[in-house]
Amino acid sequence: MMKSKQPKALTWLLIIFFLFSVVIPLGRMLAYLFETDVVSVVSSGRFMTGLVNSLTTSLTATLISVILAAVLAWSLERLQVKGKAVFAFLFIVPMLIPSISHGTGLVILLGRNGIITNLLHLDFSIYGFWGIVLGSVMYSFPVAFLMLSDILRYEDSTPYEAASVLGIPKRKQFQSIFVPFIRKPLISIIFAVFTLIITDYGVPLMVGGQCTTLPVVMYQDVIGMLDFGKGSVIGVVLLVPAFIAFVLDSMNRDHASLNFTPRQFEKKKSPVGMVACIIASILILLPIAAFLVISLVKKYPIDMTLTWFNVMKTFQQHAGRYLLNSLLISLIVSAVGVTAAFASAYLSVRTNVKQARILHLLSIISLSIPGIVLGLSYVLLFKGTFLSGTFAIIILANLMHFFSSPYLMMYNTLGKINPNLEDVGETLGLGRTAIIRDVIIPQSFGTILEMAVYFFVNSMMTISAVSFLSTYRTQPLALMIPMFEGQMQIECIGVVSLIILIINVLLKLLISTVSTKKRRDF
Amino acid sequence: MNEILRTVDLCKQFDNSCDVLNDVSFNVDKGEFLSILGPSGCGKTTLLRILIGLLPPTSGKVIKLGQDITALKPSQRGMGIVFQNYALFENMSALDNVSYALRLHSSRETANRMAEEMLELVGLSEEKYKKPAKLSGGQQQRVAIARTLVTNPDVMLFDEPMSALDVDTRLSLRGELKNLQKKFGTTMIYITHDQEEAFALSDRILVMDKGVIQQIDTPVNIIDHPANDYVERFVKKNIQIKIDSLLPFSRKK
Repeated sequence: MMKSKQPKALTWLLIIFFLFSVVIPLGRMLAYLFETDVVSVVSSGRFMTGLVNSLTTSLTATLISVILAAVLAWSLERLQVKGKAVFAFLFIVPMLIPSISHGTGLVILLGRNGIITNLLHLDFSIYGFWGIVLGSVMYSFPVAFLMLSDILRYEDSTPYEAASVLGIPKRKQFQSIFVPFIRKPLISIIFAVFTLIITDYGVPLMVGGQCTTLPVVMYQDVIGMLDFGKGSVIGVVLLVPAFIAFVLDSMNRDHASLNFTPRQFEKKKSPVGMVACIIASILILLPIAAFLVISLVKKYPIDMTLTWFNVMKTFQQHAGRYLLNSLLISLIVSAVGVTAAFASAYLSVRTNVKQARILHLLSIISLSIPGIVLGLSYVLLFKGTFLSGTFAIIILANLMHFFSSPYLMMYNTLGKINPNLEDVGETLGLGRTAIIRDVIIPQSFGTILEMAVYFFVNSMMTISAVSFLSTYRTQPLALMIPMFEGQMQIECIGVVSLIILIINVLLKLLISTVSTKKRRDF
Repeated sequence: MNEILRTVDLCKQFDNSCDVLNDVSFNVDKGEFLSILGPSGCGKTTLLRILIGLLPPTSGKVIKLGQDITALKPSQRGMGIVFQNYALFENMSALDNVSYALRLHSSRETANRMAEEMLELVGLSEEKYKKPAKLSGGQQQRVAIARTLVTNPDVMLFDEPMSALDVDTRLSLRGELKNLQKKFGTTMIYITHDQEEAFALSDRILVMDKGVIQQIDTPVNIIDHPANDYVERFVKKNIQIKIDSLLPFSRKK
């Protein structure tokens, strides 16, 4: 174990960094409550309507999302489905575009002049409650799917085999083995998905219509009316489900970190899984196909001539410059994020510095802070300072917003690497740095790539944390979507969504190829 | 035999806890195989880490070849250690595992030549380009030993290297380890909680409990003349139960 002073100093440095970049901004937002007439905000009709709408849409969407995800995760993990890897990839594609794009996808498909509306001569409005629910399901489904797949993949088949030998019927097996197994993680997943939906403003902004949710109220009041007091009150309300989700997740995570190799299930032959996966894939690909159609025809549905006109139009409005901004921001967030997350995880797992527990807590705390709340906290703390309006504040906000998941990826990986490697180095006269450089980093290279992709992809598509922080000069590409929404340039939203999707998909595929090759080398 | 290593009144206390080691004094002779035997939490790993220099003692001394080495760094003590599960560098070939530390002071060519010679001595020439995941348990053990032996240590320490392995592998590895010791004549100190392993491998056994040496003697003397009730209960009775349970089966044959 590390005994020199360097790790302790580095631990303190990171703790101070987290204090300034998460704790103090959040504290500033909470302090703002004292400068605000909380009662009048909370009792206002707009707040109450927003709260009710937020709760009802989020509950409905969570229920649908988790059920769909459970069906598809179960199909892929328990049934024989050809092309499992392709389906598993397709199901996470919606994670690679901003939430607001899902709203746009719905408008293109089911809006007043939507592709499906026109094809089927439908007469209904997607705007409102069901629009938010549908968009939120599309946006949150991949997260629920990934979490549930992970749980099902690590379920041990032995208890079921033992129960079958004892002649216990399937229904009883489900009640006494599966239900107790899934209960805790399922509650955790439900809260995580609920939090994701209730804190999002992209979908309701696009398809909410008169059905206004709390994040939309917060976004409009802060951006439009600079009402930071109201923003703070809503921010605190949105922290509640996020905090509960964080606590539940932490409790279940400790439980799941036990080193255990489960016995795999025998996959049953059934066409049901294949059918479910094909239907889901079509539904997932529909909005993307819609983006393609709307981007590449001159003016849907009036002029269906194939043309680059909309792409050119988008780039004439400086999409190229904003794309460069996004790439720059995402690359820096990836590089700094991977370094900081690696350092924090290393200090937490592989040293005995006492303060490492504080560092661990600070590293995972951002899981409990919605992006929009973090963005508001930054505005409140940093407005008027040298950071205001710079790329640095956007990079910092993205870094903190997405820090916890990559940190936990590395935390788990480093925990699995033999704990004696540094001691081996010490007895052989090699320094700790040499062991980290030549042994630990190569052994965790796959995770490092995953972390880099996570930071990059999310920084490319996020609008929540950065919407309050960007200026004309520093604006990332994804923020052109709400701008185009305001200008009713829906074709340009299609183009921007496609650009983000293509970059993210290409990066994912590239990294997955490199990772597979690296794994084979071991 | 000549004494190579001696500890004098080693004590260790961690923050806010009782004594992990209490006045531990013993000596080891050159070429000897000494096992330190005791239940989990008895202080044997702490003792090993103090011997190699990964942990400072609260008081007491470690003397090697008449010289006080208590304050020396692990790499300056002329000792090597094989850890639990071997702690091989999974991203490196067997050759790189062995030559890695040598490259610090020698050219790559010299380091590789020395590593190749060592791998030949432990019978792994054919496997030198394989990574640990592609080697058997026995081959991994030999790589770990080669990696330590190539630095030419006077004493080799083993921290329960076989604790995570299955019974068959452990039995075959015991034989391999004993052969290697005969071949190189290296002094070995071996930590285990497995009585059978200690009795099968050792010239002498040091029985520990609660940070105190209960007895240090040859396996035969420990069985015939246990120093106290603890040794009798922990070592003798356990071994006797196993022998008794096996006897009916061997008689049937």
